[in-house]
Amino acid sequence: MNTLELDILLVEDNQDDMDLALHALKREKLANHIFVARDGEEALDFLFCRGKFGQRSFDHPPKLVLLDLKLPKVDGMEVLKQVKSDPRTKTIPVVMMTSSKEERDLVKSYDLGANSYIQKPVDFDQFRETVKTVGLYWLVTNQPVPVNGVHELAVRR
Amino acid sequence: MTSAQSATTGAVDFAALAEDHAKATLNILEDFSEDKARMEETQHAIFNILRDFSEEKNWLEETQRATLNLLEDFDEERIKAEGVSRELQESVELLRVAKETAEASNRELESFSYSVSHDLRAPLRHIGGFSKMLVEEFGSTLDPGAKHYLERIQSGTQKMGLLVDGLLNLARVGRHSLTRQAIELNPIVAEVIAILQPDAEGRQVEWVIAGLPAVQCDPVLVKQIFQNLLVNALKFTRPRVQADESAKVGTSAPTLAVIEVGCTQENGSVVFMVRDNGIGFNMKYVDKLFGVFQRLHRAEDYEGTGIGLATVQRIVQKHGGRVWAEGELDKGATFYFTLGMERQAESKSNGATAGGRL
Repeated sequence: MNTLELDILLVEDNQDDMDLALHALKREKLANHIFVARDGEEALDFLFCRGKFGQRSFDHPPKLVLLDLKLPKVDGMEVLKQVKSDPRTKTIPVVMMTSSKEERDLVKSYDLGANSYIQKPVDFDQFRETVKTVGLYWLVTNQPVPVNGVHELAVRR
Repeated sequence: MTSAQSATTGAVDFAALAEDHAKATLNILEDFSEDKARMEETQHAIFNILRDFSEEKNWLEETQRATLNLLEDFDEERIKAEGVSRELQESVELLRVAKETAEASNRELESFSYSVSHDLRAPLRHIGGFSKMLVEEFGSTLDPGAKHYLERIQSGTQKMGLLVDGLLNLARVGRHSLTRQAIELNPIVAEVIAILQPDAEGRQVEWVIAGLPAVQCDPVLVKQIFQNLLVNALKFTRPRVQADESAKVGTSAPTLAVIEVGCTQENGSVVFMVRDNGIGFNMKYVDKLFGVFQRLHRAEDYEGTGIGLATVQRIVQKHGGRVWAEGELDKGATFYFTLGMERQAESKSNGATAGGRL
C-alpha cells in the first residue's frame, strides 16, 4: 500500500470497529486513501514519518485522523497530545471517535486540541451517518492548511 | 566631793567608799536591768516577728497546698479533656474513614460506568452492525425465517443499547455535582414538550401547564425529571384516543389524553405534580415504581427500560426532596416531587392554564 499520500488515518485497535468503519467509509467512497494504524505507537510513527514510515513526508499529512481513545501501547490521548504539541503536525485535523462520552475524556481531548469529539453510536445506521458526516466534512467541505503554511508555523516556533 | 571625804578629813572613810561603790554598782545594775528589760522587749518583738513569720509560713504552706490541690484538679481536668479530645479524634477518624469509603465506592461506580460505557457499547455496536450488514448484503439470498431472526437480533441490540445508556445516565446523575441556581421552570417544561413532539405525532394530547415558580435547582437534572415524567405520561396515555372515536366505542371515561403539569404549596415548600389520565397503575405496586428495572407493564405493550423513574428519584434525592406517586388502574397516574428548598419566588398565576393541543 502506498502510504505516502493518504486522506485518512484511522487509528483503531478493534478489528470489528475497524471493519464497521471501513464499511461505512467505503459506502461513501471515502476509503480509497485510508491507512489503519492498529495502536498508538504505529499511529505516531505514521504521523511523524519515522520507523517503517520513514519515506513519508510532513508535506503530505493526512486530511483527517480518526482516533480511538483506548489503544494498546500508547493510548489515544497521548497520540493526540504529541500530534497537537508539535508544529509539524498540529494542524492535522484529529477527530476523536470513541465509545465513551465521559465528561473527563471530552474535556481532556478538547484541552489537548482535538478538532472534534464523537461518540460512536450503538445503532449501526447512526454510526454510518456519523462516519459519513465526519468524512465528507473534513475531506470535502473543509479547506486544510496549505503546505507552505505548515512550514511557516514550524519556522515561527 | 564624795561623802567619804567630807565625813573625815585626811582619813579615808572606807565605809563611805563602800557605800559609794555599792551605789555605783546598784546604778550600774539598774542600768543593766534597764538594758535587760529593753533586750527582753526587743526579744519579744523579735519573737512576735518570728511568730508572724511562722504564721506567714503556715499561710504560705496552706496556699502552696491549695495550689497543689488546684494543680491536681487541673491535671484531672486535663486528663479528662485529653480523653474527650481523644474521643473527638477517634470520631473524626471514623468520619474520615467513612468519607474515604464513600469516595472509594464513588470512584468504583465511576470506573464501573466508565467501563460500561466503553466496553459494553462496543460489542453491541458490532452485533448490530454486522447483522445489519448481513441483511443488507445477503438479504436477497436469505429465507424469511433467517431474516426474521436477524431482525430480532437487531431489536435486542437496540434495547440493550437503551438499557446501557439508561444505566449510564443513572450513574452520571449520581456523580453529577449539584449546581443550584434560580430557574424558571415553565421554559424547561416547554422545552421538554418540544423534544417530545415526535412521540406525540398523530395523537391528540391536551397539555395543561400551570404557571410554575422559579426555584433554586440544578437545571440539567430538573429538565431530566420533567422529561422522564412526561415521556411516561405520553406513553401511558397512548390508549386515550380522540373523543369522537371513543364515542363510537361507547365508554364514559374521558378519552382524550390529558397531561397536566402543576404545583401546590405544602408547608412552605413547592410540590410539583405531573398528572395524566392514562392507564394508571394499581396502588399495591406503588413501592416498585421507583426501583431500577422495575416495570409494571409488559414490554410488548409499553416499551421502556425501567430506569426512568429510578433516575427521577435519584435526582430528587440529590436535591434533598421527595418523590411519590398516586394512581388508579385505567384512571391515570400522578407523580409528585419536591426539590428540597423553601419557596424561592412567588408562584406566578398559580393554577393558570397555558394549554395547547398537539
